[in-house]
Amino acid sequence: MTSYLELSKITKTYGNFTALDNVSLSVEKGEFVTFLGPSGSGKTTTLMIIAGFEKASGGAVQVGGRSITELAPHERNIGIVFQNYALFPHKTAVENVYFPLQMRGVGRDQGLRQAEDMLSLVGLKGFGHRHPKELSGGQQQRVALARALVFEPSLLLLDEPLGALDKNLREQMQIEIKRIQRSLGVTTIFVTHDQSEAMSMSDRIVVFEKGRIEQCAAPLDIYHRPQTSFVAAFIGESNLIPATIGSAAGKTAENPTLGAFDYAASDNVLSDGQAVTLLIRPEHIKLSRNPIEGRQNIRMTVETIVNYGDNALVIGRAGDIPMRVRVLGADVVIIREGQECCISWTPESVFVITK
Amino acid sequence: MNTFMRWAGILVVIFIAAPLVIVVPMSFSSANSLQFPPPGYWFGYYRAYFTNPDWLIPTWNSVIIATATTILTMVLVVPATFALVRHKFRGKSAADVMMLMPLAVPHIVMAVGYYSYFGDLGLVHSHLGVILAHTCLSVPIAFLVLSANLKGFDRNLERAAQSLGASPTRTFIHITLPILRPGLIISALFAFVQSFDETVVAIFISGRDAATLPRKMFDSIRQEADPVIAVISTLLFLLVMVGIAAPYFASALRSRAPKPSRPPAGAH
Repeated sequence: MTSYLELSKITKTYGNFTALDNVSLSVEKGEFVTFLGPSGSGKTTTLMIIAGFEKASGGAVQVGGRSITELAPHERNIGIVFQNYALFPHKTAVENVYFPLQMRGVGRDQGLRQAEDMLSLVGLKGFGHRHPKELSGGQQQRVALARALVFEPSLLLLDEPLGALDKNLREQMQIEIKRIQRSLGVTTIFVTHDQSEAMSMSDRIVVFEKGRIEQCAAPLDIYHRPQTSFVAAFIGESNLIPATIGSAAGKTAENPTLGAFDYAASDNVLSDGQAVTLLIRPEHIKLSRNPIEGRQNIRMTVETIVNYGDNALVIGRAGDIPMRVRVLGADVVIIREGQECCISWTPESVFVITK
Repeated sequence: MNTFMRWAGILVVIFIAAPLVIVVPMSFSSANSLQFPPPGYWFGYYRAYFTNPDWLIPTWNSVIIATATTILTMVLVVPATFALVRHKFRGKSAADVMMLMPLAVPHIVMAVGYYSYFGDLGLVHSHLGVILAHTCLSVPIAFLVLSANLKGFDRNLERAAQSLGASPTRTFIHITLPILRPGLIISALFAFVQSFDETVVAIFISGRDAATLPRKMFDSIRQEADPVIAVISTLLFLLVMVGIAAPYFASALRSRAPKPSRPPAGAH
C-alpha cells in the first residue's frame, strides 16, 4: 500500500552540481508536511519538481497511486502559493480566484459565485472587486490561498508564503492557514526556513541539507530526538558536546574537559569508545550559584546575558566548551556577567547523536 | 538653488517650445511663403492641405507605410524578444547585437545602402521598399522597449497560471499578453512614430509614388516654402498632444466613475 504522495529516489543535477540526491518521501492524505532547511538545501527544488516546473534528473513522483512524473504543470491539479503571491495584477481578487475554474470550463456566473465563497472562507468576504495592488500583504496572501484551493487540488504547495509578512501578521496567518488546511483536509507541503513556523504548523517536518533528507519526523521528535548533529544545531538552540562512549552498558559518555556523564537512552546501538555528540538543550540546564547536591555540577564562567524579559539566555564557557543556558527571567538576578557559577543537568536531558 | 533650478527649467521649456510659438501662428498666415510675424491671418492653407492631392497622397503614403512598418516590426520583434530575453542559446549575444545594429549605423549610411541595394532588387520608389527599410530602423527601438518590459515580468505569474490549469498557450493569452499590453502598445507606437517621422531614408528611396509626408515637406521647403508645412506641423503637434493627454483623461474619467463592484448575481 503506497502513500498518497510518493517521492521515490528523486535526483536533480545541474552539470556537476547535485541539487537533490536520492530524495524519497511518503506523505499521507491530509497530512501537513513542512520542508525545512537552509537556502540551497534542496527544499524548493523538491517542491518545484512536485509542481512540475523542474524536471527531475531521476526518480518518480506519484500522487494517489498515479505517476505524475511526465505530466506538464497544468495537468497536475496542484495548487501553489508563491512567496510573492503571484496574483494576476490585471484581474480583481475574485477574478483571480475564478481563473482556475475558468480554465476548467466552469461558467462565469457559477465560477464567480464559487470564487466568492472561497474568498469568504479565507476571510475576505466583500473584497472580491479589489485589484491585488489595492490589498494589503496579508490580504493578497489570502487571495493566493483561495485561488490555490478553489479547484480542490490534489495537493497544496506553499513556497515560503509567509516570508514577506511582518511578525504579528505571520503568526496570525500560520493559525489561519492551519485552520483552512484542516477544514478542507487538503494534503499540504509547506516550504520554509523558519523553524518556529515549521514547529507550530506541521504534522511532520522534513529537514533538508545539501540535497538530502537529514530527518523526517514529527516536530517534537525532531526537537528532542534529532538523528544528526546538523538537525540538532538547526532546530532550536543546542549545546553540542563532542564525547566518546565510556561504557555502553553503564550508559556513560566522556568529554576530555568536562569529564564523564550519564545518559538515559539513545535511539542507536552504541559501543564502547564510539565517538558521539551529546545534545543538551539550553532549557534543560539548571543554573545555580552553588553546586546542587545529588547532581553532577560543572563550573561555567558567564560571558554574556541576553535578557528577553520572561526569560534570559546565559552564554558562558565550561573549560573550553561554549555553553548556552536558558533561565527564567526571575532567576537571572542571581548571576552577573564575568562571574562563575554552576550548571547541572539530569541524565534524561542528554541525547546521544551518532552522526 | 531651488529658484535657480526653477528658472533653468523655465528657460529650457521656452527654448524647446519656441518653435511652436512661431509655427502655429505661421499656419494661419495669409503670406504666400513662410514668414514671421505673419502679415495677416486666414485658414486658407488649412483648406489647401485638406484639398490638395499633392499633400494628401504623401499623408496617405505615410499612414500606410507607418502602419505596415508597425505590423511587420511587431511580428518580428515580439517572438525575437521572447527568445532573446527568456532563453539561452548559441549565438545569443551575436543576435542581441544584430537586433540593435540599425541603431548604431547612421541613417545616411543605411539610406545609401538601401538606395543601391533596393535599386538592384527593383524596390526603389515602392511602398514595399520603404516599409522594409523603415522596419529595419524600427526593430531595434521596439525591441529595446519591449525587452525592458519583458525583463521586469514576474515569471511566477505564468507558473501560477500553469499550476492553476492553464496550458502554455492559454497562459500566454490570459496572463502574459494582457500584462504586457502597455509595453506592447508603447513599443508599437515607437515603431509607428519612427516610420512616420523618418526622412533620410525616405528621401533616398521613396521616389514620387511612395513619397512620405516628411519627404514631401522637405521637397516643398526647398522649392517653394509653402506655408502648408506650418499647417502640417501644427496638426502633427496637435495629434501628439492628444495622444499624450488621452490616457490621463481616460484614467481621470475612470477614477471619477463609481467603482464597479460586481459580485455575481445572487451570490449570497
